[in-house]
Amino acid sequence: MAEVKVKPEVPDPLDVENRIIELCHQFPHGITDQVIQNEMPHTDAQQRAMAINRLLSMGQLDLLRSNAGLLYRVKDSQNTSKMKGSDNQEKLVYQIIEDAGNKGIWSRDIRYKSNLPLTEINKILKNLESKKLIKAVKSVAASKKKVYMLYNLQPDRSVTGGAWYSDQDFESEFVEVLNQQCFKFLQSKVELSMEDIETILNTLIYDGKVEMTIIAAKEGTVGSVDGQMKLYRAVNPIIQPTGLVRTPCGLCPVFDDCHEGGEISPSNCIYMTEWLEF
Amino acid sequence: MTQAEIKLCSLLLQEHFGEIVEKIGTYLVRTGGQPLRVIVSDTGTSLDQVKKALCVLIQHNLGTYQIQKRGFVEYSVQCSRVLCILRYPRYIYTAKTLYGDTDGKTMDYTEVSSTFVRLADTHFVQRCPGVPDASGPSDSAAPPAPTLVIDEKDMYSVPRLNLIGKGKRRRSCDDDDNGEHKAKKQKQDLESQEPPPDDGIYWQVNRDRFHQHFRDQAIVSAVANRMDQTSSEIVRTMLRMSEVTTSSNAAYTQPLSSNEIFRSLPAGYNIGKQVLDQYLTLLADDPLEFIGKSGDSGGGMYVVNLHKALASLATATLESIVQERFGSRCARIFRLLLRKKHLEQKQVEDFAMIPAKEAKDMLYKMLSENFVSLQEIPKTPDHAPSRTFYLYTVNVLASTRMLLHRCYKSVANLIERRQYETRENKRLLEKSQRVEAILASMQATGAEEVQLQEIEEMITAPERQQLESLKHTVNKIDASENQVDETIFLLASYVDSTVVAAAKKP
Repeated sequence: MAEVKVKPEVPDPLDVENRIIELCHQFPHGITDQVIQNEMPHTDAQQRAMAINRLLSMGQLDLLRSNAGLLYRVKDSQNTSKMKGSDNQEKLVYQIIEDAGNKGIWSRDIRYKSNLPLTEINKILKNLESKKLIKAVKSVAASKKKVYMLYNLQPDRSVTGGAWYSDQDFESEFVEVLNQQCFKFLQSKVELSMEDIETILNTLIYDGKVEMTIIAAKEGTVGSVDGQMKLYRAVNPIIQPTGLVRTPCGLCPVFDDCHEGGEISPSNCIYMTEWLEF
Repeated sequence: MTQAEIKLCSLLLQEHFGEIVEKIGTYLVRTGGQPLRVIVSDTGTSLDQVKKALCVLIQHNLGTYQIQKRGFVEYSVQCSRVLCILRYPRYIYTAKTLYGDTDGKTMDYTEVSSTFVRLADTHFVQRCPGVPDASGPSDSAAPPAPTLVIDEKDMYSVPRLNLIGKGKRRRSCDDDDNGEHKAKKQKQDLESQEPPPDDGIYWQVNRDRFHQHFRDQAIVSAVANRMDQTSSEIVRTMLRMSEVTTSSNAAYTQPLSSNEIFRSLPAGYNIGKQVLDQYLTLLADDPLEFIGKSGDSGGGMYVVNLHKALASLATATLESIVQERFGSRCARIFRLLLRKKHLEQKQVEDFAMIPAKEAKDMLYKMLSENFVSLQEIPKTPDHAPSRTFYLYTVNVLASTRMLLHRCYKSVANLIERRQYETRENKRLLEKSQRVEAILASMQATGAEEVQLQEIEEMITAPERQQLESLKHTVNKIDASENQVDETIFLLASYVDSTVVAAAKKP
């Protein structure tokens, strides 16, 4: 009787890959080689290695090192489709930009982190921008500087200046209008504490039209922070415009040049003449 | 003594006392205390005239003398006293509002003396130091100048006099704006032969008391502006109670208990004790910090923070000046710097919400006028500009002094302008005076209507108009001088109070 050899099933490479992907999805924290081996005992190390390498090069798997050995983790599928066709350098730059979060990163800093020459960086950045993976945002602090961040991120306040800037221009009219409105609102004696317009209210304080007190408030009342609440009320100035500014000398631009007998003197002062004719 | 102060002193002396006094006075202000001989030789005036000038100055409390160790006497003039001449109209007005106006009508002695006693009781007038009784042995050489002494408790006591039957006396017109009478001397009665019982007792106006009163007024009106009428009345009551117990440059009044305040409230205000307590608590908690709570006995002890109040008033004056001169945005930056003490350029822009370019412009403008100053904080020992922090800050005392100087110069300018306008129209003024004199004499002799009209027509219509405008001009400048003097008062009080407080610190 001839020995029946059971031909070992050659697993389909694609199958292996798919199984590995499934496993990765099952364990989103990552799987070790051991886990794959347990799941698919009929694959040998070489097949496993081939499959994993293919997945890695396709960008569907992330290779991580942990104290248990090597970990394979499934990559975000959105990104995997985008990154197809990018080479390693681009991936590196992309990684760096991603790490910068929503504050963005300057091109010079990318260069330092990746050690790539400037020309390369520029080419890569242009490439990534055209693929709509990253975007450039002008910083409000230094208007010539551009920071790069991922396309779908909201730029941080420190970069765009927050609500008071639109397109890098200070919205002074907006600020003025809010200033007036807040003042009118407070004059009608409503007590108000709102976090969002605290800066505007502070400008009113600096205008001398509003004063602020901090009172202890119960936790849970609207607007209380750490057991305290800020209250604002409109106030009048404590003195009338002072005597000095009611005379021409108080506001005179050439005050220091004025003395009796000179070109500019009290006797021939044109400001005084005008003032006396009222 | 700054130049501006000396100039102003000389203008005031000249206007009120004439050329010679002005020369001597200005010389003494500039050079300090000098003996008689030196004054004569340096100013080139005769001994006689110098003596008379010194008499005038001492009489009006502008000058003093001091016996030096070597045995000669030095005379000096104090600049601050001369500058108080500016304030005479305010003193007179205050006295009128407090104790009633005479309206030029006749007053009899009882009214005069009762008003006088009231003035003395509230310390508005005080006794001059007098010559001590000769108690020592007569063989010791008489000192070159008497040392005047005054006993504290006698300063405000009016001696009892029998004035009944002295007859009416028309009160002299003291509505003169340039009030010259400083010492209210009790006139010797010409009728009686024996000297009156209070011979040798002279009285003078207590300037410090008036200044205290002005300061209290300013504080009360500030409270009224910031809060309401009732709170200002409470503060006024507290200040009135402390009038005679607190010295004029104290930092706080004596503590007053809430019960005392309640009892001393003016009759018209019947607010309950509870309400008063609430008001006092509100006042003590207010960010202004004019009133402070110093204890809990007697229903709560409260003090008025005089130094704090003066500082707030001076700061408000500074802010008002910045606002009028540079605009409200500059004022915003100024107040911001006052609050936060030291700020960088960038921080100023952020807090004040003013675009960078404008903020820079405003800061530099204020810097050039010395309202703000820069503080450098180097990061490296070589003070490289790129590695140094530059912080903007406001130095209140220095700015106050600078503005005070400006005020003095402004008043000097105003006085000069007024004198110039008067000089220009001298001819016209003289003519109108002559016409008035003629009119008056003709009316006395009973002339006819037609003749009077003829005389009046000597002044033509445009001339009349010119006279009107001149009067208007002079009045306006006068009023303006008083207004600037108010500013001077606030700023000078703050500077004095700060200097005293700094001196007291160990």
